[in-house]
Amino acid sequence: MGDRAICMTSSEKSDAEIVCLVDDDLSVLKSIERLLASDGLSVRRFNKPKEFLTYVQAHAVPLVVLDIWMEEMSGLEVLAQLGALSPSTRAIIITGREDPTVKLTAIQSGAVAFFTKPFDDHQFLNAVRGALALHPIE
Amino acid sequence: MSEREIIEKKSGEHRETANTSREEQINLLQSITMEVAAASDLSSALEIVLRRVCEKTGWELGQAWVPNRDKTLLVCGPVWFCGEADLKHFRAVSEKSHFQPGVGLPGRVWKSKQPVWIEDVGDDPNFPRTKAAKAVGLKTAVGIPILTGDEVTAVIEFFLCQSRSENERLVNVIASVAAQLDLAIERRTAAEELSRTNDILRSVLSNMGDAVIVADKEGKFLVFNPMAERMFGTDALQMPSNEWSHRYGLYLPDKASLFPHDQLPLTRSIRGEEVNDVEIFVRHEKAPKGLWTRVNGRPLRDLNGELLGGVIVCRDITPIKEEEFFRAGQSRVLEMIASDAPLADVLTSLVLLMEGQAEGLRCSILLLNRDGKHVRHGAAPNLPEVYVKAVDGAPIGPRNGSCGTAMYTRKPVVVTDVMTDPLWADYRDLARISGLNACWSTPILSPQGEVLGSFAMYREEKRGPRPEEARLTEIATHIAGIAIDRLRQQETLRERDARISFAAESADLAFWVIYPEQNTAWMSDKGRVIYGFDSKLPLTRELLVSRVHPDERAAVRAAFDRACASHGIFESEHRLVLPYGKTRWVIVRGRCLEDEHGSLLELIGVTIDVSAQKESDLQLQIQREELAHLNRVALMGEMTASVAHELNQPLTAIANNASAARRFLERGNVDPLLLPQLLQDMVADSHRAGEVIRGIRALVRKDKSVVRSVLNLNAVIADTLRLVSSDVLLCESVVTTEMDHNLPQVEAAPVQIQQVLLNLIMNSLDAVEALPPAERRIIISTRSLNGESAEVSVRDFGTGLPKDRPDKVFDHFFSTKQTGMGMGLTIVRSIIETHGGKISAENAPDRGARFFFHLPAARGDSKSQAA
Repeated sequence: MGDRAICMTSSEKSDAEIVCLVDDDLSVLKSIERLLASDGLSVRRFNKPKEFLTYVQAHAVPLVVLDIWMEEMSGLEVLAQLGALSPSTRAIIITGREDPTVKLTAIQSGAVAFFTKPFDDHQFLNAVRGALALHPIE
Repeated sequence: MSEREIIEKKSGEHRETANTSREEQINLLQSITMEVAAASDLSSALEIVLRRVCEKTGWELGQAWVPNRDKTLLVCGPVWFCGEADLKHFRAVSEKSHFQPGVGLPGRVWKSKQPVWIEDVGDDPNFPRTKAAKAVGLKTAVGIPILTGDEVTAVIEFFLCQSRSENERLVNVIASVAAQLDLAIERRTAAEELSRTNDILRSVLSNMGDAVIVADKEGKFLVFNPMAERMFGTDALQMPSNEWSHRYGLYLPDKASLFPHDQLPLTRSIRGEEVNDVEIFVRHEKAPKGLWTRVNGRPLRDLNGELLGGVIVCRDITPIKEEEFFRAGQSRVLEMIASDAPLADVLTSLVLLMEGQAEGLRCSILLLNRDGKHVRHGAAPNLPEVYVKAVDGAPIGPRNGSCGTAMYTRKPVVVTDVMTDPLWADYRDLARISGLNACWSTPILSPQGEVLGSFAMYREEKRGPRPEEARLTEIATHIAGIAIDRLRQQETLRERDARISFAAESADLAFWVIYPEQNTAWMSDKGRVIYGFDSKLPLTRELLVSRVHPDERAAVRAAFDRACASHGIFESEHRLVLPYGKTRWVIVRGRCLEDEHGSLLELIGVTIDVSAQKESDLQLQIQREELAHLNRVALMGEMTASVAHELNQPLTAIANNASAARRFLERGNVDPLLLPQLLQDMVADSHRAGEVIRGIRALVRKDKSVVRSVLNLNAVIADTLRLVSSDVLLCESVVTTEMDHNLPQVEAAPVQIQQVLLNLIMNSLDAVEALPPAERRIIISTRSLNGESAEVSVRDFGTGLPKDRPDKVFDHFFSTKQTGMGMGLTIVRSIIETHGGKISAENAPDRGARFFFHLPAARGDSKSQAA
């Protein structure tokens, strides 16, 4: 019920302000949504990467926060497809594992920020704001 | 008929006897009586009678008739008297005549036992010799019987050439004379009889083999026969009976104490006792070695039973006694053998016994060494020490003295002169010193025919053995054979015993026997050490059981009771608690023995001290657990991604939720519905993180890793896959499962089974790493094996296992990896085997490796699964 309430709130906003979240861990997914909501940002959650890739083809998505290690599909793969499907969508990577190779690949694939879980909420929100061309938090 | 008439009738005869007066007749009677009494035998007495009657009374012929042997006929005796008339013709006829009772004059007298008077034989119808009588002119005849008691012993007859009527007086006179003759004959016969009996007795006493001694009441010797003189070394010495033992050398069977005189058989028989079979040892100057006599005595009494003295008969039983002693000596030696006396003592006794059987005999026994080539001293108590020492250790051979040769040839060797015999060439000087000249040796053989030694006889005389010496040799070799063979057997047994007990002690083995009936027990020395019993403490079954650890005592007692009840076997592995608290691990095995009737006799068994083994087992167990633990820790290291990821997720969620909550609060627009949800999620995530940590900790903890429970392997596999999901993800591999939902449950330690699965999965991940992502596949499957065990298979599509020996991967330190310890699979195998399972590895038909293990279904589970 609570989840739906947040979604309802965000759905009232324009697509341009909505941040997409892709993580196969529901708990993590919900917590990031709440963090972004606490900064007044609207969020659309995706538990499965493929569902996001379908969505992004039909909607304008300014920013996606993307997990790397997911059962169905790696975040890097999603990132690679995203370049073709929606080149305007910016991507922020969150990963559970510090891996320079993965980080390098992600940056090369166009990711604008790379966070290792757990991350600093301030830095994360600033990165999101930056990606959305909003004012950073003081 | 009157005296006068006789005188008248004799008148005119050529000899003047008619006036024979009464006095003359009395004189005749007296002189005849005296002469007859002096006569030496019947014949001369008869002759005297015939002569004197004829001379004194004028009768012309006197003849005697005696019954033949069977007393059917009277025959003419050799004695007769004739006066001046020529009566030879009649005598000749008489000598040819014989008469039946009642026939003729003698026959009539014989039959009637009365005198018969015939006035004229020419007229008498019962006188067969009438013709001869007429021819010489004989007329009157008188026959007189000579009676002994009621029996006619002779008939005398007298003839006259004149016819004369019966003269009663004359007849009476002659009858009186005849009666004298009868007395004389009787007396003489008795004397002759006595004399003959005496002669026989004397001859018997002189020649009999027994000593006979007769003494009167005063102890005066009446008879002391030659054998008695020989036996007692002297003729009869008259002395008081209390000196007899001393003077004649009479001893009790101990050969030392003089025989008490009042107990001597002769003394006792004089006292009126009957004495039977009293043995006396006799030793005197003429018999210095002594002799044995067996004496019987009887009292002597007259017809009225009055005691007159005593008689003893003594038989020389020396040979019997010697044989008896010899046999007793043999028995003593055999008893020594039976009572396990030292061999040297037995053989010495045997040699001394043999030497005692013959004068001047010396003997020795030599033993053949076990090498069968040299001799050892056995016994030679009467050979010089120098000789004994020289022979000890000498070799045997075909020319090695009597003994060495006898042992070598297995045949008796008789050397009658050691000074010349070639066999003695090497030993002559020794023999000379020792004064030995003849030596006969016989090999001593065991019942199996094995040469054990030799028995030798030595003599100073140069001669061969006599039959009695050959007999001694036969007995001696027989007994020595028994003694030596027995010792050999005992030595063999002792050696075997020693070997067994050495083996038992080396192996920490205890032998024991429990006698349930008697409630006693026996235990070997080593057993007493193992059980901590004093060497003298009497043992019982309960005492043995009391040493068992209290936790196991009841079970051991029950197992023991079961074995006794079923007469079966007893097997148990348990701990013993010794005094002062020391603990031993032992394995005990026992078996019931029955008697011939099938009743329980005893329980025999062994106890093996396995403490050392057990300790090393425990040590090994600890090491194994240590290694397993290290392996699990190492696994954790390999699973860093998963661990980090699994922890990171909930921690990230918590952190984000917390940050969000703070921001909502700072902004002051808190959604009253959101905050509790948020906090609840935080709690849930922290629990989730806790679970992860608990899981990791369970995996790396040391304790409880071996605690078993009933598991469903499918669930364990799912849990394990969750644990490694991140690693699988990072490897970009795919793990698929094919679970058998009828898989039987197993009894196992979950941590260890997870460890097995983790090892196998991590190995598979390594194996597929080099493959293109699409081929990085791992298949985990389970299946039930008839419901009796559960099989798990982990299969990859990698490069596979060593072709020659896929199972080699389970060996220690086998590793294809650069980083691994090479212990993982070894630990995996040990875990599976500890669970009673089995693990194998093989190359799959197409490619890749397949590991599969199975574990037995938990007890009670196989049926439910099979149903």
